[in-house]
Amino acid sequence: MAGAALPLGRRLAGWARLKSPWITVYNSGACNACDIEIIACLMPRFDIERFGILVKGSPRHADIMIVTGNVTLKQASRLRRVWEQMPEPKYVIALGACGAAGGVFHGLYHVADDVNRVIPVDVYVAGCPPRPDEIIDAVVRCLGLMKEDAAHGGKEWRQEKPVPAPETGPAAGRRAA
Amino acid sequence: MAEVVIPIGPQHPALKEPVNFRIIADGEKIVRLELDLSYNHRGIEKAAEQRNFIRVLPLLERVCGICSHSHATNFAKGVEEIMALEIPPRARYIRTIIAELERMHSHLLWLGVAAHEIGFNTLFMWTWRDREAVQDTLEEMSGNRVHYGMNEIGGVRRDLTPAQIQAALSRLPVLEERVRQYRQMVESEETLLMRFRGVGRLSKEEVLKYGAVGPTARASGVDYDVRKDDPYLAYAEVPFNVVTDTSGDVYGRTRVRVGELGESLKIVRYCLEHIPEGPIRADAPHTAPEGETLSRYEAPRGELAHFIRTNGTDKAERIDIRTPTLANWTSVAVCLVNQNLADIPVIVAAIDPCLSCTSRLTVVNRNDGTAGVITFDELRRRRDRQWDRQELR
Amino acid sequence: MTTISTITERLQGFGTAEQVRSNRVRLKTTPDRVRDAITVSQVMLGCDRLVTISALDHGTTFELLYHLIGPHRIIISLSVSLQRDHPSSPTVSDLLPPAGIYERQIHDLFGIMFPGNPDLKKIILNEDWPADEYPLRKDWKPRPESFYGGIKTERL
Repeated sequence: MAGAALPLGRRLAGWARLKSPWITVYNSGACNACDIEIIACLMPRFDIERFGILVKGSPRHADIMIVTGNVTLKQASRLRRVWEQMPEPKYVIALGACGAAGGVFHGLYHVADDVNRVIPVDVYVAGCPPRPDEIIDAVVRCLGLMKEDAAHGGKEWRQEKPVPAPETGPAAGRRAA
Repeated sequence: MAEVVIPIGPQHPALKEPVNFRIIADGEKIVRLELDLSYNHRGIEKAAEQRNFIRVLPLLERVCGICSHSHATNFAKGVEEIMALEIPPRARYIRTIIAELERMHSHLLWLGVAAHEIGFNTLFMWTWRDREAVQDTLEEMSGNRVHYGMNEIGGVRRDLTPAQIQAALSRLPVLEERVRQYRQMVESEETLLMRFRGVGRLSKEEVLKYGAVGPTARASGVDYDVRKDDPYLAYAEVPFNVVTDTSGDVYGRTRVRVGELGESLKIVRYCLEHIPEGPIRADAPHTAPEGETLSRYEAPRGELAHFIRTNGTDKAERIDIRTPTLANWTSVAVCLVNQNLADIPVIVAAIDPCLSCTSRLTVVNRNDGTAGVITFDELRRRRDRQWDRQELR
Repeated sequence: MTTISTITERLQGFGTAEQVRSNRVRLKTTPDRVRDAITVSQVMLGCDRLVTISALDHGTTFELLYHLIGPHRIIISLSVSLQRDHPSSPTVSDLLPPAGIYERQIHDLFGIMFPGNPDLKKIILNEDWPADEYPLRKDWKPRPESFYGGIKTERL
């Protein structure tokens, strides 16, 4: 569906999102190296705020969520809940080796390795930790994805529907046979 | 380069790190603190038993991103002690240089975060900008800004070329000047840092009783510093002072950390200028004999203790990691009793937690048992309103 | 003046003590004597600070090590051996306040009980973690049919 057929309000909102995306950061059990590289992005040397990118606290105001860490079992349901609070259209960037496949912690007993098992990820960034320049590059690529998705009318052309919310608690399930 | 002042909002949400506490409160006053550390637990100690020494080093580095070299060096020196292996002097000096650079980057980071907690965002920007000089030096020496990977059992992996030493030495004067300015700022009467006075006070007896370590302890006059008590690496040969203070509150801890920045600069300069020639590694055997050791190290946040037991194979039988923040939590719980809810972010930030502040707390009102969730940002807003009311009076 | 040899001698009354390093003494004692040994270390030998409590699994027994240090910089490591089923050792959190957190952690990961500790709740494992599984024991393997909280993890 072509973008020109969308109503004016939607087109304005889409343009505003591209010009000034708001980001929220969620630490799902990381060693904090990725978090300090994200803060370094805000500092005078790399300074993403001159691009209009604001890092806001609440997921309810954010377009993009950056997830650091490989998801510990404690954080998995909370990460899911925070993601559900974000209004559509929402995008997720998984940072570092941990976000992609668990990093050095792959296979340990208290982690679920891939962020994609809990929430659908749009952009992965390699590195341990990725440099601030690489993080900014990831945000810019995400903006590119936003533009493409707006032209296609949504995310369905490149992503299946999100996995159902995970069950919590031992009473909620034994593994289905 | 021209200084650009950027308008920023009152919150930096990237500072959230996951530790949960439940606060039992009586109105605005805190009665008790309960702790839950499972948000960050990844099972590293178990993994370290199944990986050989070479693979354990990168794993231990990633226990914490801010003091990664501390964990790796502490483990390496513990295993070297069990193996009775003497590493060459040049390797000791290189490890010391990286360790002190790490301490500097950690204290500058902390200074910015603490300033942010009281709304002094300009200092936040300044300290993190100066920190970039330290990060550049680390990147030139080791290849990465964080998680340097310099250690191996028997020495270090990379040598320092004369060009790198020169580049590092050329950055030091600017840093020394900046640290001198920060020290002046901390001492002067009109700064916002005076808001730290009287907050979170711990007396010397309480520090000794509750086992606080690091700058938290040194700010109350207790001069525990593993670099002097049990010298390791090159600290026996390098002249430096242990910085202590007597006020015991968050302001005292700020002064201790700024003082330590100055001392670290002296140590780095001395090591760069006096680094001995020679090899950078000793041939280490693949397996370690049976033995155990308690390896202690002065990380930026305090004393880090690794208890290592080996059993004659190339894997450790047990590695028990006791981070300095865990040792400090009991004293935080004590500090917070009878303080206001709104002081929580500052007091918790003052111990420089590595498992760090939570983004949300559960507050239980003792009188009627109601519980509600409150975020750190709401607490900061409450405190800012309190301060505004006090200043208007 | 307390030197390492006076400490070693004084601790012989509680078990076998030996000097293992230029500044560390190791004492092997039993659960019923460990509290007295700690009190003596604190009061008479000047070791009033707890560095950490380490726990080890030897297959047939558990071992607990209490590391104490004082202003004279000599470390005393008290080693206590516990049997495998229903391991327990009296709490020392009233003598050394920081011990409370370390005992909670060891209880979570090894299953060692500390009778007398007022607050032995979960501190480091997820609240959904099954009650009788202790990950740091040598013989623990994740059971495929168990649910460890959070999300299902098929690879376990």
